[in-house]
Amino acid sequence: MNSDAFEEMLFGFPSSQDSVDDAWEDASEEDMLEATFASEPPPWILRSSPDQLPALLDDDPDAMILEDFGESALDESLLENHPIEGPPIRKDRNWVLARIEGMLEEIVDGLLENRGQLAITLKSRSATAGQVMDSSGGRRPASTLKNKEVNFPGRTAQEAWRFTVLLRIIELVHGALANDVVLSKRDIYYRHPDLFVKQSVVDRYVDDLACTFGVTRSLLNVTAAAKSLVAGNFTIRGADGTSVHGINSKEGILLPSLLDSDVVDLSAIYWILIIEKEASFRSIVGSPEWSSLGSRCLVLTAKGYPDLSARQFLRQLTDQYPSLPMSVLVDFDPDGLAIMSTYKYGSIRLAHENVTSNDTPTLSLPLPRLSWLGVRSHQVGRTPATESGTKGGAISDAQGLMRLTLRDRKKACRMLEWDTCQEGGPEPVWRRELQTMLMLNLKAEMQILEEQPGGLASWVNDELRATQGQEGCTNGPVPQAGSAG
Amino acid sequence: MSKQYLTLHTLDGAHPSDIFALAPTKTQILSASGSSSIRIHDTTQTDFPLVQTLEGAHKLGIHHLATSKEGKTAASAGFEGVVKIWTLGEDALWSGKGDIVDQHNPGDIWAIAVSADGNYLASSSINGKVNVWSLAEKDTMPKIREYETKGSFGLCVDLSADGKFTASGHENGSVYIFNNDTGRLSHSLPGLVHPIRAVAFSPASKLLAAAGDSRIIALYDVTSGEQVANLTGHGGWVLSLDWSDTGEYLLSSSHDSKAKIWRIETKQCVATHSQGDRPLWAARWLPRATRSEMFALAGGNQAISFYREAAG
Repeated sequence: MNSDAFEEMLFGFPSSQDSVDDAWEDASEEDMLEATFASEPPPWILRSSPDQLPALLDDDPDAMILEDFGESALDESLLENHPIEGPPIRKDRNWVLARIEGMLEEIVDGLLENRGQLAITLKSRSATAGQVMDSSGGRRPASTLKNKEVNFPGRTAQEAWRFTVLLRIIELVHGALANDVVLSKRDIYYRHPDLFVKQSVVDRYVDDLACTFGVTRSLLNVTAAAKSLVAGNFTIRGADGTSVHGINSKEGILLPSLLDSDVVDLSAIYWILIIEKEASFRSIVGSPEWSSLGSRCLVLTAKGYPDLSARQFLRQLTDQYPSLPMSVLVDFDPDGLAIMSTYKYGSIRLAHENVTSNDTPTLSLPLPRLSWLGVRSHQVGRTPATESGTKGGAISDAQGLMRLTLRDRKKACRMLEWDTCQEGGPEPVWRRELQTMLMLNLKAEMQILEEQPGGLASWVNDELRATQGQEGCTNGPVPQAGSAG
Repeated sequence: MSKQYLTLHTLDGAHPSDIFALAPTKTQILSASGSSSIRIHDTTQTDFPLVQTLEGAHKLGIHHLATSKEGKTAASAGFEGVVKIWTLGEDALWSGKGDIVDQHNPGDIWAIAVSADGNYLASSSINGKVNVWSLAEKDTMPKIREYETKGSFGLCVDLSADGKFTASGHENGSVYIFNNDTGRLSHSLPGLVHPIRAVAFSPASKLLAAAGDSRIIALYDVTSGEQVANLTGHGGWVLSLDWSDTGEYLLSSSHDSKAKIWRIETKQCVATHSQGDRPLWAARWLPRATRSEMFALAGGNQAISFYREAAG
């Protein structure tokens, strides 16, 4: 079974959404899934015939909690699944809690009344076509979200499983909210790896749930597991007096989740550099240049497509230091541009996170001032070749260049239709570079810059100087050491 | 012995995007870019005025554009995978005649060339296939030849002026000449190893020039398939090739913003022009009118520059 077919089965709608998503279904998860699924269905599918329904729920000790929910806390209107319509409601923790309890109560009612079908209605986000750019430059979902109903026992064993997965996640989220603890998506997965099969199942349903309520994932008390690394001369000060110094670590620190009360001190920083790949991040942080570079620079990698926590962190930095230059270094290929797009405009899949920015301004995540440091077409095709040594030149610049795959070409063509890259859109340079890739049928990884004299770190250092030269010293601190007084 | 060419005129901002293709007729030059429109400038007037814009021809941008030598048929290929055929009306305006969509694999057509009489179109494709289409009929544009190659991306294609041959250049360095009369491969030419980005038949269909990332321009004898010369001197990937009307000179342009003119008789580069710091995607001679020889260059700087031979 290929992964697309599996996704189709899991989620009941095509997973051909544009592949900002690709990174989520990464290889290891896929492997795990094949391993679990290729042979025979997991046991929970076998036991989900209708007459075993009560047994399934009774087996689960947590399911008994459902009985404890009283009628009192529930407002009739909350049972509707149209949170965005109607008079504005303040969507806080208690509101989400009440919505979840409403959902659970309906299921309990269904069980008590011996209804044949139990249902949970979810709003699912549509693919690219359903997205529009808003005025502030972020993506937001088009006004209509697709409703989908997950039934139990449903028509198929898969549907019964979906219902079980969803119910379990709802329960865990409820527990997290009720006890005011924060769960990571990874935590949720590891509660029942055999049930959830793979991490992306959890990711998807948690996001669907947030979308259904029209809130950000953080309001569900769920975070992505920390995967981003940061390094540089910054300090995070907590309200409780604790502090984290970025400069102390030789290899970068895992990006901490910031609380609203945390203050990030970037007063020594002139530049924020985002790097697509961990290997390049390590190459810079481990280089001899880092001692000087690191004192003026904050470097972050989210190891591929950025998760919400990385984007929230960067957004918080921009809000605090709006004039601090921020650049991104990605591969010269369609995925590199898509990753940059996710940093700058947000994820297609998580567009509902941007939409809620109206309610909670601090979560408006686009980074409109993000500039593209590289890798650009003029940085790859023009390695100096002397007129006399043409043959040698051809070989030297062939290194690090690769042909586009068919998938790359299809993706690049699809991206030319994105509202950001279309003719007259806000990113004419992205459009040009995508077209240049297609014309030359070439791509390059950022490792190509390692071949510059002095390596990647030295190249970055030069670029930083150039940036400082162009922008002047727009950041808070005084440019020359010694003149501070 | 070098030759002098002077800048005659530059159309700055001819397109709002990188210009990927130029296609001249006797009186006009058509140009296409990463934007959706084809622009047509009059080459008979000293200021080269814009006379027509084919708006929204290809929404995702246009990568190839070709005209027939008789000047009444043009074809454009867009990133969305469609090839559009255009014809010149009695009113001297271009209008769309129809689309060619490869039935089997829409979007696979890449480079295109139009025969001198405007009756045929040759196309290369991502999967290496080379096809010839008939444009002569009024309503349909059927595929009349389908040449298989070893599957390497066909980056460039040309039709000989006499209509007898189709040539294709491929990413793996292969160059093929097909005989359109027999529908068979004539020659698989000793390759240049690196991607071939331009192929061009000489006006008398005797020679084929091929070039690309090896920075060498190879000349082949079309009849025998023998390689007869190497023109060396480009420091960047060669992106475009064009023969002058008489076949005396070959014009080439490269990724490192240089254009060169080669005298075929001596196999020497007789002139080099540098234009900006962006790739020169297209270099084309203008069909010889009364004036001295002229050529046009365009590329990443979004301008079209016209040059003419210095008098004397």
